[in-house]
Amino acid sequence: MDDTVGEGVPPHVASEFYLWLWYTSDGNGGTFTFEDGSVAQCWVEDRLAFRSAGEEKVSAVLTGESPGTTPEARAAVRGGKVLRDVRLAVRRSDREYSVTLRGPAVELAGAKVPGLVRAGDEAETVYERMFLYEELHWVVAQLFRAFGRERASQGWRESVVPAMRAWLEARA
Amino acid sequence: MGILKGALTVRRYRVEGEVPDGFRDLWIEAMNSHAFREPLSPLHKEEVMGWVQVHNLLDTQFDDLNRWLYNQYAVFALRVDKKVLPARYFQAHLQKRCEAWCKQNNRERVPSAVKKELKEVLEQELLRQTLPRVQVTEVAWHVPDGWLLVHSQSDRVNDLFRKLFFRCFGLVAHPFDPVDFVADLEGVGPALLASGASDLRGSEA
Repeated sequence: MDDTVGEGVPPHVASEFYLWLWYTSDGNGGTFTFEDGSVAQCWVEDRLAFRSAGEEKVSAVLTGESPGTTPEARAAVRGGKVLRDVRLAVRRSDREYSVTLRGPAVELAGAKVPGLVRAGDEAETVYERMFLYEELHWVVAQLFRAFGRERASQGWRESVVPAMRAWLEARA
Repeated sequence: MGILKGALTVRRYRVEGEVPDGFRDLWIEAMNSHAFREPLSPLHKEEVMGWVQVHNLLDTQFDDLNRWLYNQYAVFALRVDKKVLPARYFQAHLQKRCEAWCKQNNRERVPSAVKKELKEVLEQELLRQTLPRVQVTEVAWHVPDGWLLVHSQSDRVNDLFRKLFFRCFGLVAHPFDPVDFVADLEGVGPALLASGASDLRGSEA
């Protein structure tokens, strides 16, 4: 097999996406409205993992309740570190998820999905688990698309990056 | 576990290639012929891999579609076995055997040819007593939509999976790329790939 995961995707793409998620969810109270008009709540839950730019390995991890609100987290970014993993809480309708978005390929790790079906019927379990996985994947896709639109817009350099910089400095 | 219960840690793929008409019957045959088979010899120390059912790693028959094909989802697992001798334990035994040989033959050192033979005999003895390290990785495949999940993010396991998947179905599994999320948004993909637009380092950096 000649292609490997994340190959062809520069690592800055995922790192910028994670930072944008953190920044945006902090600013909008975690409420995102998607292309189909539906709404979901997404916020940084209990883990941020940083790497040094140009390296793959995690060099610093912040855990605990709302690590995104800590001065250490912002200082890490101002100091040149970039995000490698981010643990998100997601709420859509009455369903709650918890998931780590990991690495340059934005892989889903440790995803906790709500359990709806009672144990026993295997086929039902497969359908339900796959439905819930697909919903979570769809939410991540919608978040990434929102990020992509903003990142590709004229306003990214002119207004978003300065606003993010101010946000990083605000609670320093 | 993971596909059926517990937290999901997955690598996603898109499947390239045509799924043939009447694939169900064809795939029973393909799954059976690429199912896991125990090595014939207990001395086998190479890696052995094949498909098993998710219910039990000893179930290697796929004749009953109801056990692994749930409407649009094919759910099965990759089993990889390998016998590995504990290196320090092996070396300790080898040292004892070498000492015994020296004493028995009234020699100070074991000639290399003899040492090689002692090593081979010991390896066979220990392989016979050793159980394989067994790794089972679940797979869920949405056949009509052409995507699948491997319940592991290990590059090694995923590489083995993709090789066996291709050999079994003649289809290629390509790792999912986040830029695929924006493939239909004009200009967004290339803009994302350009770096240097988001330097947020502060003055202390």
